[in-house]
Amino acid sequence: MLTNNNSNKMFFLFILFFSTLISISSNSWFGCWIGLEINLLSFIPLISNSKNLLSVETSLKYFLTQSLASINFLFMILIKFSLLKNFDMNNIISIMMNSSLLMKMGSAPFHFWFPNIVEGLSWMNNFMLMTWQKISPMILLSYYFNKNFLIFMIIMNLIIGSLGGLNQTSLRKLLAFSSINNLGWMIFSIMISENLWLFYFLIYSMMIFMMISLFFLMNMYFMNQLFINNMNFFIKLNLLINFLSLGGLPPFMGFMPKWIIINFLLINKFYFLTFIFMMTSLIIIYYYIRIIYSSFMFNYFKMKWVNLLMKNNMSLINLSSFISISSMILSTFIFM
Amino acid sequence: MMMMKFLFMMIFMIPLCFMKNMFWLVQMMLFFMMFLFMNLNLNIMCFFNMSYMFYCDIISFGLILLSIWICSLMIMASESLFKLNFYFNFFLFNVIFLLIMLYLTFSVLNLLLFYFFFEASLIPTLLLIIGWGYQPERIQAGMYLLFYTLFGSLPLLMGIIYIFNDLNTMTIYFLKFFNMNMYLLYISMIFAFLVKMPMYFVHLWLPKAHVEAPVSGSMILAGIMLKLGGYGLLRVMIFLQEVNLKLNYIWIIISLVGGLFISMKCFCQVDMKSLIAYSSVAHMSMVIGGIMVMNYWGFIGSYILMISHGLCSSGMFCLANINYERLHSRSLYINSGMMNFMPSMSLWWFLLLSSNMAAPPSLNLLGEISLINSLVSWSNISMILLMMISFFSAGYSLYLYSYIQHGKYFQGLYSFYVGSSREYLLLFLHWFPLNMMILKVDFISIWF
Repeated sequence: MLTNNNSNKMFFLFILFFSTLISISSNSWFGCWIGLEINLLSFIPLISNSKNLLSVETSLKYFLTQSLASINFLFMILIKFSLLKNFDMNNIISIMMNSSLLMKMGSAPFHFWFPNIVEGLSWMNNFMLMTWQKISPMILLSYYFNKNFLIFMIIMNLIIGSLGGLNQTSLRKLLAFSSINNLGWMIFSIMISENLWLFYFLIYSMMIFMMISLFFLMNMYFMNQLFINNMNFFIKLNLLINFLSLGGLPPFMGFMPKWIIINFLLINKFYFLTFIFMMTSLIIIYYYIRIIYSSFMFNYFKMKWVNLLMKNNMSLINLSSFISISSMILSTFIFM
Repeated sequence: MMMMKFLFMMIFMIPLCFMKNMFWLVQMMLFFMMFLFMNLNLNIMCFFNMSYMFYCDIISFGLILLSIWICSLMIMASESLFKLNFYFNFFLFNVIFLLIMLYLTFSVLNLLLFYFFFEASLIPTLLLIIGWGYQPERIQAGMYLLFYTLFGSLPLLMGIIYIFNDLNTMTIYFLKFFNMNMYLLYISMIFAFLVKMPMYFVHLWLPKAHVEAPVSGSMILAGIMLKLGGYGLLRVMIFLQEVNLKLNYIWIIISLVGGLFISMKCFCQVDMKSLIAYSSVAHMSMVIGGIMVMNYWGFIGSYILMISHGLCSSGMFCLANINYERLHSRSLYINSGMMNFMPSMSLWWFLLLSSNMAAPPSLNLLGEISLINSLVSWSNISMILLMMISFFSAGYSLYLYSYIQHGKYFQGLYSFYVGSSREYLLLFLHWFPLNMMILKVDFISIWF
């Protein structure tokens, strides 16, 4: 990588998208593994920037963890081919295969690399990591999962995602822990049906996109930066609506996927699991509200030496916030 | 059709909030809507005006009227926001959004949509408290409000979806044909409403939220948000009757004994708004007792007390704000001897506080008498608790009145308005339904 221009990035981005498609549409486990490896190979040039030492270190850490998971996955595939000829889903090999895929996604209890790496990436790379990189491990998970093991992993995801974010001030790490929590919801949804997972994933990635583009345009990486600048009123309102929507509060759009998943949880009689889903979601709302304090209070302590007044020239984000408020009503036009 | 036209009237008032100089017009439109709504055909103890997803029966009718009334009075009380130009456009939008959510809560037929709008009404309330409140403690108050209420209502969502999976219907009208005999379902369904009411052990959010809110936030919290809990309990009791008969003594005892403790705690308060907030908890404790007993007088008494307490508490918060705007303090040490300066306001203090202590001819009296009847018919021993609660409510109402009005005034006062006609109109509109509706109560107390 001699230069760091956009055409390089476009090339690797194309290969990234293509690798996920290879992985999820192959009819053999080897094809899946190939897709995962190409995914790793094409993501590394996207995140590493040879002028920035933190970037280089981040890409190295990412490479180490993901290749470990891939090797594990390959090994378990080979063991499955050679030793076990049955289709039984509840055995040790399925646990091992699921573990390697969970490690690729950054789910608990293999999540320790995730906030670390998220801290070293820029916002757009974070967006790729949190949304696109989850697609192929999720779908591969749905091919051969162990239900009891995954239920336990879901509980760990929810608890670690909610409690881990309580002591953070970096916005990237907060979104990382919220991503771990949402992984819990997504793993459950993919155990029910792939369509349900797609629904949850699309709405989640839309909400994450709105938030990350808001932070990217304002160039904010830490919580104290939210208080220093003079934000336009509409930007504050956007921030408020997006975070409350991500927390799953009615009447915003983020309530709908959570409602549907709770519906399926109760149909399948997972009563205690539903209770854990709800209570961890309360803890997550607590630290979201801590982020958006500055947008709740209309007059607060403003610094005099910061002179930038942010104008509201993000019409796309305004439109998406409007959709976020009114989407529950708009959805009745589609579904009824 | 009849219900939807009001919904669309409210939705189309939203663009009106953002135009120039429309502050008083929005308030006038809300009064207009109130008078239009009163002309709905009202038949008793059946669901009428039913359309695809809306309905209106006697309980919904009264509470929707109360919410429109209080929302319009909220705008009248917040004139200082308009004068000082403190984001009043967004304030109007907030009030109308809250009114839409409350209207929809009381008038949808689907239990899940009821939950959806029940939760959705929290967001504008939170924005009111943290956005327009004036003290730094309002952040903690907003957090307490949000988290106490959410903690209660997430099991309610679980319960509603469980009911849907079991009964395959969510229509409130059809729930009277079913009987769900499960303890865990019972607790998850009513806990949300008990937190909202609030019952004694889960009441901590209420003094904080009422005190830190601006006058409009306090009015809507005391006026309607507490009654959402009562309305939910009245709806949900229909299919939980058997379990309730076994377990209702827990809630009645907690709320009545708690009401006694809270009434005694009212005597220790220094902050005017805090005293009114604690008196709200004491009144609501009797309402919970009345609903849980599940006899006819209990339901009637709780409904009447809900409506009258909404008007009375909201009026008292307006009075506290009238004092606050002049003296910039809510403390009882500073607000004393007001009769020397504002004798006409002292008349309104007396009228509203006498209604608070359930003196005749207020509607509170009818509510408390019906509740006393129903609770004593359930058990004779509750006579002691009810006697003490009523006595202490008279006690602290008189305590508040005489500390504020009589005595020597604070020497640090400079000069202020005696009382503008907007404020007198505001208080008159609170007091008039409260004391004149006693002349014809059969439309709120005869349900069949």
